[in-house]
Amino acid sequence: MNQLLLACQILPLTALLSIMLSDGSEKKITRISYWFSHAMGISIFALLALWALSGFPRHEYHWFTLYEQDGFSFPILFYLDKVSAAYLFCVWTIFAVIIKYCRVYLHRETGYKRFFQTIFGFVFGLNLIVLSGDIDLLFAGWEIVGISSFLLIAFYRHRPQPVRNALRAYTIYRFCDVGLLLGAWMSHLLFHDSSHFSTLHALFENQAILQDNYSGIFMLSWLIILAASGKSAQFPFSFWLPRAMEGPTPSSAIFYGALSIHLGVFLLLRTQPIWSSEFLPRLVVFGIGLLTVIVASLSEKTQSNIKGQLAYASIVQVGFMFMELSMGLESLVLLHFMGNAFLRCYQLLVSPSIVTHLLRLEGAVDGDFTIVNAERMHFLPSTIRDTLPEVLQNTLYVFALQEGNLERLVKTLLWDPLKRLGAKVKVQGYIQNPWLLGGIAVLLLFALSGFDFAKGVLAFLVSVAMVLASLSAFAQKHSPVKVWNTVALSSFLAGIAVWLMSSAYWTDIMLFLSGIIPAWLLGWWVLEKMLEHENFVASPFVFRAMAETRPRLALLLFLSFLGLVGFPITPAFLGEDLLLTHASDQHPWFALPITITFVMNGVAAARVFLRLCMGRPTEISYVDESK
Amino acid sequence: MTSHTSRYDHSTTQSSGFNLDASIDYVARWLPIQGPIKDFVHHNILHAFQHLRFHEALSVAGKLFGARSYLPMDDYQMLYRQGRIKDFALDWALNQTGCNAEQQQALRAILFLQDKHSHYPPISLANHGLRNAWLTHLEIDLNAMVHPIIFRLLSSFLDQGISRWILPKNGERFWDSVLRLAQNSLLPLYPFNEPAVAGLLNDSPDEIISSCLQKIVGAETHYQQYLLEILLAHPGWSGMVRVIEQNPQSLLVKRLISIKELLAVELLCELAIVSKRKPGGFPAIAELPSLQGIPLLNEKLLQPNVPLKFRVWHDAMEWSLYSELLVAMKNPSQDEGERQTGVGQSPIAQALFCIDDRECSIRRNLEEVNPGIETFGAAGFFGIDFFYKGLDDAYPVAQCPVVITPKHLVLESLDESQEEKKSGMLEFSKMHYTAHSMFRGWLYTQTLGLGYAFRMAWDVFRPTAKLPGVRTLSEVSDAHTHLHLLRENDEPNADGHLLGFSLSEMADRIGGLLRNIGLTENFSPLVMVVAHGSSSVNNPHFAAYDCGACSGKPGAPNARAFAWMANHDGVRAILRERGIDIPAATRFVSAMHNTSRDEMSYFDEHELLEPPVRELQVFKQSMEIALERNARERCRWFELAPQSESGKDAHQHVKSRSSSIFEPRPEYDHSNNLYCVVGRRAITRSLFMDRRSFLHSYDAATDPGGEILAKIMSAIFPVCGGINLQYMFSRLDNSVYGSGTKLPHNVIGLLGVANGVEGDLRTGLTQQMIEVHEPARLLIVIEQAPEIIDMTLSRLGELRDWAENEWVRMVACLPDSREMFLYSVKGWEKIEFPADLQAPAAEQSENIFPGRDKTIPVHRLSGRHQ
Repeated sequence: MNQLLLACQILPLTALLSIMLSDGSEKKITRISYWFSHAMGISIFALLALWALSGFPRHEYHWFTLYEQDGFSFPILFYLDKVSAAYLFCVWTIFAVIIKYCRVYLHRETGYKRFFQTIFGFVFGLNLIVLSGDIDLLFAGWEIVGISSFLLIAFYRHRPQPVRNALRAYTIYRFCDVGLLLGAWMSHLLFHDSSHFSTLHALFENQAILQDNYSGIFMLSWLIILAASGKSAQFPFSFWLPRAMEGPTPSSAIFYGALSIHLGVFLLLRTQPIWSSEFLPRLVVFGIGLLTVIVASLSEKTQSNIKGQLAYASIVQVGFMFMELSMGLESLVLLHFMGNAFLRCYQLLVSPSIVTHLLRLEGAVDGDFTIVNAERMHFLPSTIRDTLPEVLQNTLYVFALQEGNLERLVKTLLWDPLKRLGAKVKVQGYIQNPWLLGGIAVLLLFALSGFDFAKGVLAFLVSVAMVLASLSAFAQKHSPVKVWNTVALSSFLAGIAVWLMSSAYWTDIMLFLSGIIPAWLLGWWVLEKMLEHENFVASPFVFRAMAETRPRLALLLFLSFLGLVGFPITPAFLGEDLLLTHASDQHPWFALPITITFVMNGVAAARVFLRLCMGRPTEISYVDESK
Repeated sequence: MTSHTSRYDHSTTQSSGFNLDASIDYVARWLPIQGPIKDFVHHNILHAFQHLRFHEALSVAGKLFGARSYLPMDDYQMLYRQGRIKDFALDWALNQTGCNAEQQQALRAILFLQDKHSHYPPISLANHGLRNAWLTHLEIDLNAMVHPIIFRLLSSFLDQGISRWILPKNGERFWDSVLRLAQNSLLPLYPFNEPAVAGLLNDSPDEIISSCLQKIVGAETHYQQYLLEILLAHPGWSGMVRVIEQNPQSLLVKRLISIKELLAVELLCELAIVSKRKPGGFPAIAELPSLQGIPLLNEKLLQPNVPLKFRVWHDAMEWSLYSELLVAMKNPSQDEGERQTGVGQSPIAQALFCIDDRECSIRRNLEEVNPGIETFGAAGFFGIDFFYKGLDDAYPVAQCPVVITPKHLVLESLDESQEEKKSGMLEFSKMHYTAHSMFRGWLYTQTLGLGYAFRMAWDVFRPTAKLPGVRTLSEVSDAHTHLHLLRENDEPNADGHLLGFSLSEMADRIGGLLRNIGLTENFSPLVMVVAHGSSSVNNPHFAAYDCGACSGKPGAPNARAFAWMANHDGVRAILRERGIDIPAATRFVSAMHNTSRDEMSYFDEHELLEPPVRELQVFKQSMEIALERNARERCRWFELAPQSESGKDAHQHVKSRSSSIFEPRPEYDHSNNLYCVVGRRAITRSLFMDRRSFLHSYDAATDPGGEILAKIMSAIFPVCGGINLQYMFSRLDNSVYGSGTKLPHNVIGLLGVANGVEGDLRTGLTQQMIEVHEPARLLIVIEQAPEIIDMTLSRLGELRDWAENEWVRMVACLPDSREMFLYSVKGWEKIEFPADLQAPAAEQSENIFPGRDKTIPVHRLSGRHQ
């Protein structure tokens, strides 16, 4: 069973790597993907069968411990229970169907290889999430799913719109990841080493822990709910989902119809003991579900495109799942999840046939769609028209048409203030300010001579500087190199701040920086190389299509982007976790600035990557005037 | 379709005051004219430039739209190395440039230089215009903010049945709807509530446009250009609005909208957002520091400058391809044997097919299987133009080329003997089409959702098994219906249509068509009328696969109507008076060829009084074999198809293609179109033309004045020429003229497709339709003397542009000597090819194509004499 658990992780990863190393011929990619999808199927079904035979236990498997140091450990831990079993089953079934579907559907498409690579990356992330044994590993999977989702939305990178929407989805993901990042830290803080999912139930049966950590658990619940609503496109984040339907139809089907959208539900199912122990978080989950159902079902009414309509229909059902969850109907949720996943996946796959369906079939029968029925074809349905006064009718319509104004709400509350603040920060200006430098020097002297108070103040100042640096990177539009270096600067400042708090953690800081520094330098070099013949300032908003014109550099930039934002391919991922844990143990306020930096850095660096690498290669040429 | 004038008048470009209406008319001519997706009408994408010569038009269009006009240089050089572009053709093309020998020499030298960039789009109004410069200066990504708002309003307003709540009230104009939401709602309609524009809302669209333009542009000289640039930033929606404005009939549910209203709403939106982003004020376009290097909408921009090297390569490629057909047709002596079967004894059966290039191969295969069958080609509406409303149709559709507006309506009805079997409920298996969001959705997903796991797996893994819905999706009418063709009274219905035809109207149409194709005597006992349609699933562009001569509908109703009329004694009596004597023993039977599945369906056999059993049996058997061969021939294009000897496998494969939900290429449609031959079948009967030719039957001897030819050409230019040019431009720049890959397409309001939920409507053909197309202009070979063709052209009015400006190339082929002449405005030029140029020969079709995956030059078939 343990071997099978491992196989579920290793198979998609190997598939991803072998597709990456293959020469890109369709036949080979197909053979690889069929083979691995079958092998995955066999191991998943064998796993489920074994699990069922041994009486549906809650099975936990500790593979090894990646990192362990005084009190902090990062185990690689897998866990299988009925929730993971249901998800695992769905993941494979839908994945296998999609692989088969795409074999023909994507035939001769540019990016065939890219597509299959990404989709294997996606399923690797999914399996990691579904089978993870604690919140740290789950977070790693979460990030992988996020990044592959981002890549598939921007699959058609020639057009600015998919690229824009990829960034939009990524921003929301990134913001909501804060929930998980802080959540991981808090669960360490609260439960120490017993933060395994397998022990949560037992833990919460003991009432004592609740009383001791009331506020902590309350916070943790909030964070988890935030992460879940972002990923599942619940209130107030619903707006990103329809806009993410930019990739090939099957990728939209598997991500936004079937699997990715239900991950929030999964997270809530996994952590149910934590947030359902108190009444208020349950109420919040219920409220989010209810608000989502209301907003999304109204928005669905005015969607005049088929994919948007399906997206909102799916969001509504996930909203119901949230409500069911808050009432503790776990089994119902699982059933609902499976039903919704399969139905939406199928609906999206056949969505192009809506034209034939409506025009050639439904005209004859007395269905929902009746072009003949002129009554239905104007303004709102008659029930509303007859009961509401005109002004309310219009209000209702505007509300639905603007999808509850959620997008602008999130934008005004979250991004605009940050941007405005960032635009005011001029890093260079601060560095050249003699008073500031002098003050810091004095503090530094005090700190070195052992005044703890000075250290504390200094740490605070450094973390303010860190946030400011991030903000300025976020708001910078004119120079990708500046953005890049400012992002790196803010990471260094994070290290310095932690060091000031407690120099005992220098090994952890080194671990963190060992991921950041190479990524930063590599990225810097790549950027300089990319921009040597470009006049960036002249047209800063043009997508430069380097992924096609200079694919190697683009790949390097992508990798260094992943490294710089702490994606789980470098030690920085672990280091980030460690810094947060250690520093915040002593100074809980530090959690806030470091997570803000985390979000902003990610978005800023992603923007650099998109601006430079995406787009359609066009070389302006002058038609030979003389001839 | 559209009635705008095709000549420019530059009066509006002068700065003597700005006239909004004239400006809109002036700039709107450049918008795409593709209508709602339910009728896919192939047309010249560069219709607005048709008054210019072909190459000049390409150049001007490139500078307006920012599109590529030719293949990359590498591709031409590669074709040259492969021998598809020949030296004599290169010489010919160089000669056509009008350069002297020395210049030609110099030009020839640069043709072979490596050049990776020249084919890129030029600096254009759409991409580098004033608006773009202004927005770069302001650092605002305005399109990203304005377009979603505008598209959402437009698609909700124009929606034909996808959204559940409709925006407009009965008879409300677009402007009024927007105004109602903006002014009479408790929630503000963003961004019309911004202080910068809220005060403007009470003005008329005209006033709003001029006050917005004043703030944004500042100088009247640039107004017109700015309007054009706004429209070209989303050509799909602008074009759709223009089409609906000019032709409200193109929508099923009428909507009142105009470009002016669109511009007013969009300008308000732009002004609101820019003012919000730049609270301290912003410079108007006229105040920008430098407008240097920005293309301006003026004489200079509309002045073509044709890149000679590309022109030469392109012409040379076309000439090489043309020569492949012309050389093969040249030698009359080899066809003499052919003529014997046609004239000597009467054939077993005669079959009328559509002119369509996909029928080119099925006709050849049928004749190869059974040389006793004679085939004819005619535009697939068979000369009968009418609105048709089938049993299952929600609304009547026009069954004729888009240039004709029919006056008659034909209804399909059940035979009296048949019981009404339609249930009032949607079939259960279709429930997933309703997205049913809330409680019903909750119930369904809980209960039925899991079932879709099996449904999905079944559809994906077993597509050959007939999908539920294939029968309903296919165009084959129920066998037990009949068409209501004979008119009982002359009272027009509410829409002004006449219900059915009178006998003499029928005789006009039948007689007209028979004369067109030269079939007025020697009728065989069985005359088949074979329409065509194409079935596919999961394909919003399905209409583009059907019959082009029926405006993107299957031709079955026309075939049925034709057979019914031609069998009618009354019609025959009138025809006899007019000199066409159809023997009493001759029966007409209608059928339809499904071009994607390669299947035949036969109609109304039960209605024939004395069915010609033997001939029909023979015909059906021959057709079965021909269909299999045809399927095998088509499979050579499909990389994933079995490339085996067996026709059965191939046939199975094409069937499963048409019913697979994951197959973006149910067939390659008109991908190979290149030739069009108007003449007797005898001149093409012994040729293997690789499904590349439109074939129209025409007997030169019966048409000394060119009148018949004029009728034929008036359908061929717009239909075949339209198909050809739409494929060509979609291939040359698939992202500007075409609609890109169809994989991410999203159906918008039953109007069209877009990328994602907030993209612009995509016009033109998809990547999957054009990927194997060779972009060359249509070559029309007419078997007739040049003088008579001249007479024909003089009857064609504006359609002459097609030939005169070389949007199609025309060759006259003398019926007896097979001497050939190329048409140009300057006159007819005799065509000479090098003496050693010979068409390749083969015994029969099946020896030619196996193992080849590119287009194949025309072959002579030596095994066709028996």
